[in-house]
Amino acid sequence: MTEAREAILRDVRAALGRSESSPVAPMPATAGVRAREPGSLEDEVDLLLAEVRRLDGVAKRVPDRGSLASALAGLVNAEAIRKATLWSTSGLVRWGVAEALRALGVELIAPGTDPRDLAECDLGVTEADAAIPETGTLLLRSSAAQPRSVSLLPRVHLAILTPAVLRPDLHHAFAEVSGSGYCVLITGPSRTADIELAVTIGVHGPRALHVWVVEQP
Amino acid sequence: MTVRAKLFITCIGEQFFPQALKSTVTVLERVGVQCEFPEGQTCCGQPLLNSGFQSEARGIARHWLRVFGSGEEYIVAPSGSCVDMVRHHLPDLFPAGSPERAAAVAAAERIFEFTQFLVGVLQVTDVGAFFPHKVAYHASCHLLRGLGVRDEPRELLRAVRGLELLSLSQEEACCGFGGVFSLIYPEVSQTILEAKIRAIAASGADVITACDPGCLISIAGGLVKMRSRVRALHIAELLAADTSAR
Amino acid sequence: MSRHFPTIDFRANARRVAPAVPAAVQRATMRFLANRAAVVQEMGQARWEDLRRAAHDLRLHTVEHLDYYLARAEAQILAAGGAVHWARDAAEARRIVLSIAQQHGARCVVKAKSMATEEIGLNHALEAAGIEVLETDLGEYLVQLAGQGPSHIIVPAVHMTKEGIASLFRQRLGVDAPAEPQALAGIARSRLREAFLSAEVGITGANFLVAETGTLVIVTNEGNGRMCTTLPPVHVAVVGIEKVVPDWESLTVLLKVLARSATGQKLSCYTSFITGPRRDPAEHGPRQLHVVVLDNGRTRILRDARARETLLCVRCGSCLNVCPVYNHVGGHAYGWVYSGPIGAILTPQLLGTAVAGSLPFASTLCGACSEICPVKIPIHEILLHLRRRAMEGDEMDPPVASGLIRAGAKVSAWFLRSPWLYAAAAHLAGMMQRPLWRDGWLHWLPPPLGRWTLVRPFPTFQGDFRSWWRRRRGGRIAARPPRNGTGRDD
Repeated sequence: MTEAREAILRDVRAALGRSESSPVAPMPATAGVRAREPGSLEDEVDLLLAEVRRLDGVAKRVPDRGSLASALAGLVNAEAIRKATLWSTSGLVRWGVAEALRALGVELIAPGTDPRDLAECDLGVTEADAAIPETGTLLLRSSAAQPRSVSLLPRVHLAILTPAVLRPDLHHAFAEVSGSGYCVLITGPSRTADIELAVTIGVHGPRALHVWVVEQP
Repeated sequence: MTVRAKLFITCIGEQFFPQALKSTVTVLERVGVQCEFPEGQTCCGQPLLNSGFQSEARGIARHWLRVFGSGEEYIVAPSGSCVDMVRHHLPDLFPAGSPERAAAVAAAERIFEFTQFLVGVLQVTDVGAFFPHKVAYHASCHLLRGLGVRDEPRELLRAVRGLELLSLSQEEACCGFGGVFSLIYPEVSQTILEAKIRAIAASGADVITACDPGCLISIAGGLVKMRSRVRALHIAELLAADTSAR
Repeated sequence: MSRHFPTIDFRANARRVAPAVPAAVQRATMRFLANRAAVVQEMGQARWEDLRRAAHDLRLHTVEHLDYYLARAEAQILAAGGAVHWARDAAEARRIVLSIAQQHGARCVVKAKSMATEEIGLNHALEAAGIEVLETDLGEYLVQLAGQGPSHIIVPAVHMTKEGIASLFRQRLGVDAPAEPQALAGIARSRLREAFLSAEVGITGANFLVAETGTLVIVTNEGNGRMCTTLPPVHVAVVGIEKVVPDWESLTVLLKVLARSATGQKLSCYTSFITGPRRDPAEHGPRQLHVVVLDNGRTRILRDARARETLLCVRCGSCLNVCPVYNHVGGHAYGWVYSGPIGAILTPQLLGTAVAGSLPFASTLCGACSEICPVKIPIHEILLHLRRRAMEGDEMDPPVASGLIRAGAKVSAWFLRSPWLYAAAAHLAGMMQRPLWRDGWLHWLPPPLGRWTLVRPFPTFQGDFRSWWRRRRGGRIAARPPRNGTGRDD
């Protein structure tokens, strides 16, 4: 195996006329990123919601904690949620999402359970670590408290976020996460056009994506 | 100061589109250009280069340079692909530092496609033409993407009295000629050509025009095969038409 | 290459294409082009061109320092707890992946779409060892079930009808399937969900490998990429050496052009960033990550400075979408996993011109591919370069042209560079065509020109410009006076 490594690196160097001690030129100036300039916070929230809707997601503002409870009730009814799983984040805890769901008669499954059990869930609730309005994108990290499958296996994915996590450009979001292990960018519910180009929402990932921006956290 | 131009009539132009060449002369003289015709010219070498025979193309290019490589006059050709060949491929056929490379680079700066020459160099869009017909324009690939000539032919056509310029669906799509491609993969060339012919038929035009004789001989042949009444004319022929010629 | 590949006969392949295929392909390409045009317009052409320039320059820089960035990527993957394996060729890569699968007692592996794994023929090798391989990208799943090859890089099954798929599901899965896309996708979803949950190994490629942190970047729309890299306990990623990207800043540029170029989405639904296996046993994700770094002919491409930019490709498929040839034949005609303009330059370089010498000629050199490529690969120039390699040979491959063709080229060149021979040939052609002349056209020509008349009539040789010019000079046809008002004196 090391033999293959040496052979390939040697072939690369020979092809380029480089040696092991050859310097690396600096990245060309033209290769830099020009990050987008954001509008006002209001405009950015509007843009995020508009983009998510354009992608067949459901997006809305939730003014405060009180409205969050009634929004959850609406969601549970509309999507026939019987079983749910959720992340344990400071926001979700502070907003009492778990309690609200239990009060609605939803059975809660611990997010760290076997994926087969998570796959039975109708709803997965996460708190987005960042959001990029220009593309309607959510950034979700991963950890023991933030298991990846919660936004992947259940039929419906609800991502709640505050305006504070909005980022003008992918560039800014990456600056925060590049050193920290797994993360995923989610842009709309899963889709395919593989069968006769007919757009089908909900293939392997969630069939529905709900994005709520809680304005008074 | 009279503008002088050496005519590069191109091999396809000479053999199959003499009317386009005569019209090119007519138009250039009409706008006051003094035309010269170096008789020793043959071909730029593009067919051999495109076939992968670079060393054979080099020999032809060397001859081209003998004919056109000296002097300060403009070189004008009624063909985008041939001008693209000279501008972008001729210099590379010769080793860096060689006198041929230098001559090729210098010639590349003096050579222009016909419409590019009229509009870009002479700053003329109205050449006094009268052609009262419905015309659609096919944007030849080497002219468009190789030379960046997009608006000049349309500007010239819009200035032709009586001419109604219709839009052609997929105007910038290839016609499927591709030079040697039409001989190597005739069936694929055919299906691409058929799509172009269908677009021409749907445009409602009586005349299809382009700046490249290569595209035009393929399109013209395709129109004949479809028994279409649409005529395929080189843009120079339209621009040469005036009240005295009917 | 250790495998023997039969010669790719593009003309024969093209002739065998069923008319329904180009029609289906064109529906896809036109949709993707329209969507792409809309998002490019929204961004603004100037900003888009800026991004293309940036994407090209950073990719070229990376490829020109590939040894450095590969070593860095490896070090970072190892630091993150992943394993790195190096594969010089397809056989070595297959052995490595098979060995990992067997070590974990894999009975079933789930695969996300990966051209690199198709390139090395991985599926067949795993199946031969008794391991079930399930393609999880819906389009790939469909062509796998049907036993066919992909007709487009992004939508591999676009040539299949919903009725055909329903019937395929009935035959191969034993389910009663309605011919309706949502229902069919639903059937695939439930079948594959079970596989995701029980497979021992998930195999993917990677769109990019960020050297700065050793991060694999996987771009999908369906969620199957996430499934393959989250649920099975072992994740194997096969990554061509050219997928390396220096840092996250460069990655940003590439992600901004990739989805927009491919389908006109601003970003695909899911972009996963995988740095090593899971960090915490309580976290979801694979226990083990194996990255197989693949050469398989890429270092050979690197050697040729004129063709090196082939390696900049980000596999967006936009060159396919805009290519007149691809649009009229579809992917199968190109004879291998890579089709369209990128296939026409990549396949001959990976498999050699003896196998794929017909492909660089499968182009009209219209240049639309180079114009649309988000990383500005000069595809039309590389096509010309490879034509020369095929016909005249160079340091990389000997010529494949037959002696007859090369003699023909030599003879044509004599006629085209000697004014005397040129004039004689024109004169001769003018005479010989008389018997073939019909309504001012030639409807039949001897070979090789006969290939022209198969399609449409040939114009007659009628070159009388020179005599016209000489007569004018002799004063017999008066030159037209210049038009008044052009402001030029004579």
